Amino acid sequence: MSTSYDVIVIGGGHNGLVSAAYLARAGRKVLVLERRHVLGGAAVTEEIYPGFKYSVASYVVSLLRPEIIRELDLPRHGLEILPLDGTFTPMPNGDYLWRVNDHARTRREIARHSRVDAEAYEEYGKAMIEMGRFVKPILNMTPPDPTSLNPRGLMDLAFLGRRFQALSDQDKYNQVQLMTMSAVDFLDQWFETDVLKATMSASGIIGTFLGVRSPGTAYVLLHHYMGEIDGAFRSWGLSRGGTGAISNSIAGAAREAGVEIRTETPVSRILIKDGAAVGVVLESGDYYTANVVASSLDPRQTFSKLVGEDNLPPDFVADVKRYKYRGSSGKVNLALDGLPEFTALPGAGHHLRGAMSISPSVDYMERAYDEAKYGRYSREPYIDIVIPSLTDPSVAPPGKHVMSCFVQYAPYHLKEEGGWDAHRERFGDTVIDAIAKYAPNIRDIILHRQVLTPLDIERVFGLSEGNIFQGELTLEQLFFLRPAPGWAQYKTPVQGLYMCGSATHPGGGIMGAPGRNAAMRIIKETNRK
Amino acid sequence: MKADGRTTIVIGAGHNALVTAFYLAKAGRKPIVLERRHVAGGCATSEEFAPGYRATTLAHTLGPLRSSIVSDLQLERRGVKFVRPDPRLVSLSPDGRALVFSRDAARTAQAIQPFSTKDAARYPEFCATFARLGAFLSELLEMTPPSIDAPSAGELWELLKAGRKFRALGKRESFALLRWGPMAVADLVAEWFETDLLQAAVATRAIHGTAMGPWSAGTGAILLLGAAIDPLPGGSSVSAVGGPGAVTRAMAEAAREAGAEIRTGADVVRILVRDGVVTGVVLADGSEIAAGAVVSGADPRHTFLRLIDPVELEPEFRTRIRNYRTPGTVAKVNFALRALPAFKGLAGDAAASLQGRVLVAPGIDYLERAFDASKYGDTSPAPYLDVAFPSLLDPSMAPSGRQVMSVHMQYAPFALRNGSWQGREDTLAALVLRTLEAYAPGITSLVEHQQVITPLDLQQVYGLTGGHIHHGELALDQLFTMRPTLGWADYRTPVEGLYLCGSGTHPGNGLTGASGQNAAREILKGARRNQPAGHQ
Repeated sequence: MSTSYDVIVIGGGHNGLVSAAYLARAGRKVLVLERRHVLGGAAVTEEIYPGFKYSVASYVVSLLRPEIIRELDLPRHGLEILPLDGTFTPMPNGDYLWRVNDHARTRREIARHSRVDAEAYEEYGKAMIEMGRFVKPILNMTPPDPTSLNPRGLMDLAFLGRRFQALSDQDKYNQVQLMTMSAVDFLDQWFETDVLKATMSASGIIGTFLGVRSPGTAYVLLHHYMGEIDGAFRSWGLSRGGTGAISNSIAGAAREAGVEIRTETPVSRILIKDGAAVGVVLESGDYYTANVVASSLDPRQTFSKLVGEDNLPPDFVADVKRYKYRGSSGKVNLALDGLPEFTALPGAGHHLRGAMSISPSVDYMERAYDEAKYGRYSREPYIDIVIPSLTDPSVAPPGKHVMSCFVQYAPYHLKEEGGWDAHRERFGDTVIDAIAKYAPNIRDIILHRQVLTPLDIERVFGLSEGNIFQGELTLEQLFFLRPAPGWAQYKTPVQGLYMCGSATHPGGGIMGAPGRNAAMRIIKETNRK
Repeated sequence: MKADGRTTIVIGAGHNALVTAFYLAKAGRKPIVLERRHVAGGCATSEEFAPGYRATTLAHTLGPLRSSIVSDLQLERRGVKFVRPDPRLVSLSPDGRALVFSRDAARTAQAIQPFSTKDAARYPEFCATFARLGAFLSELLEMTPPSIDAPSAGELWELLKAGRKFRALGKRESFALLRWGPMAVADLVAEWFETDLLQAAVATRAIHGTAMGPWSAGTGAILLLGAAIDPLPGGSSVSAVGGPGAVTRAMAEAAREAGAEIRTGADVVRILVRDGVVTGVVLADGSEIAAGAVVSGADPRHTFLRLIDPVELEPEFRTRIRNYRTPGTVAKVNFALRALPAFKGLAGDAAASLQGRVLVAPGIDYLERAFDASKYGDTSPAPYLDVAFPSLLDPSMAPSGRQVMSVHMQYAPFALRNGSWQGREDTLAALVLRTLEAYAPGITSLVEHQQVITPLDLQQVYGLTGGHIHHGELALDQLFTMRPTLGWADYRTPVEGLYLCGSGTHPGNGLTGASGQNAAREILKGARRNQPAGHQ
């Protein structure tokens, strides 16, 4: 059997689907091949326990590009983002810090801990919004090659330079600091309240193998302010029906544009003829031919498995091998018979509808990281908790709840006896223990528990070493260095083979920007022919 | 010499300040150098710490010095005998072996061979790569960091030249430079080597004197910065007979001969400013010295937060200087020893192997754990040590047959979680000896005297804010155009006529004199143009 397409997209994750949709809208005949029975990659909703729908891996939306929502008309295809308001951090002394989107309330709350910080919080918000404005256009840009003399690349570099120059002196200073400093060092300049700094800095380490004191983690603080300025929705939201509904809405838009999507169709190899990709071979032995193959998988899956090192230049192979994954996070999904009761703020208040953060102090966060550095999972981990069923009752039976716990650190390379398969449930217990310190009733209301270690994330979702961003978001793996120096423009050394996943600029999270940028690139280059 | 409104005052007589004073004097300025202590030399002074034992109290090796400084100041004619020890570095392994680094890459590769054939094969290539990148970067060190707001034609030209050289490195190496800079040095060395002992020895140069561990991102840049002044992995351990103190003595002599006046015991407590223009300084004894220009060799925090009246500075600028990080992590212990200790793994002529430096840095995790403790305000239970025996180069530093052992101990955080540094000297010295016992059994019994310099002493005696030996963290956001802060990296300050010349300015790493030389160039430029020295 052989059918020919203009473009075959490998992987039906959100980026693969976004690419496919844009390509089809540009008139290409597109086929998407997904290994699993369900679309969405790490953005999936699955009914692991009857009646309870888990957003198994990715669980909140923050950065989905508004232009993608608009251009693909995702609301018409079922996308509905529900606000997730606030972050609640219980403290060991019985107090708590509860920040919400209502600025006046948050100000009063922070003032309860420190008046100075309440003042600084306003200033900080303003500064961050300015910085967000600077960074945003870079997300939609194909990274220039700083070593080439190609006039286009030089123009892009000049564009960046001019934008930077146009910033005020203070904004330049902030920008440089954000790009290089640790989250804690940066926040130390603004705030004095430990629990506030700990909770804010947590966003800098999500999905990375870095601690809150590691240089380079400040940058991610910006992400929280980029959603807000679009005005489309708040920085954090839940998708009705779980994160799988986002993927389904993109798939809907793609199908409407004419994309053919096949699930349970694992690809075993990319067909290469005379140095060019000409199609894919399935594990079933069937094959499809195409002018262009776009892989939304990470570089290890794409190049080491599907292309084969023999078909690649040795320098490139070395770069791909050097690319760092180092998954550091786990996930615990719970089906609950009721709601957790926090000692610091009892009752089923509004605080349960936002995020709940187990991040009581900067030292707590840093110690959690220290253990992971030496190959242990954190005995007192950082946990980001949401209960989506409070906002979206459709994901659990009446009166029951779904609770999602994102946990760090859980190093993929575990140096503990027996590895992850021996420690999965113990890791789950550790997470429950850490929550129970602040909400002791949690143990009594668990109906079902699903524990995902980084090893499970690799096995189930095909993310190498369980890295949720398809490779660490560290400075040396960003922008024109992502995923490999000289290959940051969605192209690969194999003619006709492109990358469109989170391993390309601007990286991970349910953002869709890599998928869209890659599609634009493919459209442009295939038009030229 | 009588001071008047045209006088140039240099605050501090550290090596950078002496270099600046020399160049200013040579240009006819007749600067007055004011040193708080009784002796010139800053962190590099030779002092007797026990009867008959002398040591350069802080630094035990040189950067090395920029070669133009050596020749301009005619240091060798003044009797400085530079020593380039070979072997230059010994890294001790807990298994009783030692890895000996020679100046020659092939010989070092041979020494690596028993640890790893693969690493031995890669070592010469590593040396060559870092030599090439170092040569490129060393030109950036000579530059005055350009203004980001409005680069002048000259600055643009310099940048363009740097850009062309960057491209000339070739695609692979220029990308490597961009990639390695922001990286953790642990990752960088792991790209080259598999032997933990070798990885750690190379990585130490990226963390020395900083509040970072080998897993801290951005330490790659410090390793590259180090390569720019001294490309040999682990450092070439260049010193001088008599230690670095002998060098600063010669520098002071050169400055005096050129026309500078050096006053010791002259503690500047205030820099006088009127209408945004510097007018002089006040000494601790209350006397005032009028001046048309003041050059501070002190660190930026000391200069702006302690010496200048807050009303004379924009609050925004002061905030930035307050946010300039100076978390000291190094303590110094000088030991008077009855004899040379016997290190395991050093066969044959041990004295010959010990002329360079000795490292206790047995692995990346060891270094990182040492760092971990300091994050929470504790001293490393198993510290990283950098050891030298200056008496091997100059026997006159100790009584006949005796030795001086100089130890940099890291991490000793300036800010302790519990209590203060006062009264902890003996515990610290004992910790150092306990650590060394594993590699040189019996060393404790050789000790006759010891001198402990805690991070608190570094601040109180040597004037280093936070006890930071580099005058401020060598972090990506505090280097080049950001050192000490964005907009003021050209050695000028918001106060007209006030300049900086210490390690808190670009490039500011190690005993090279580079900051002092660059600063003198800018100060003289300001004067030649006959325009206000204030910036913008």
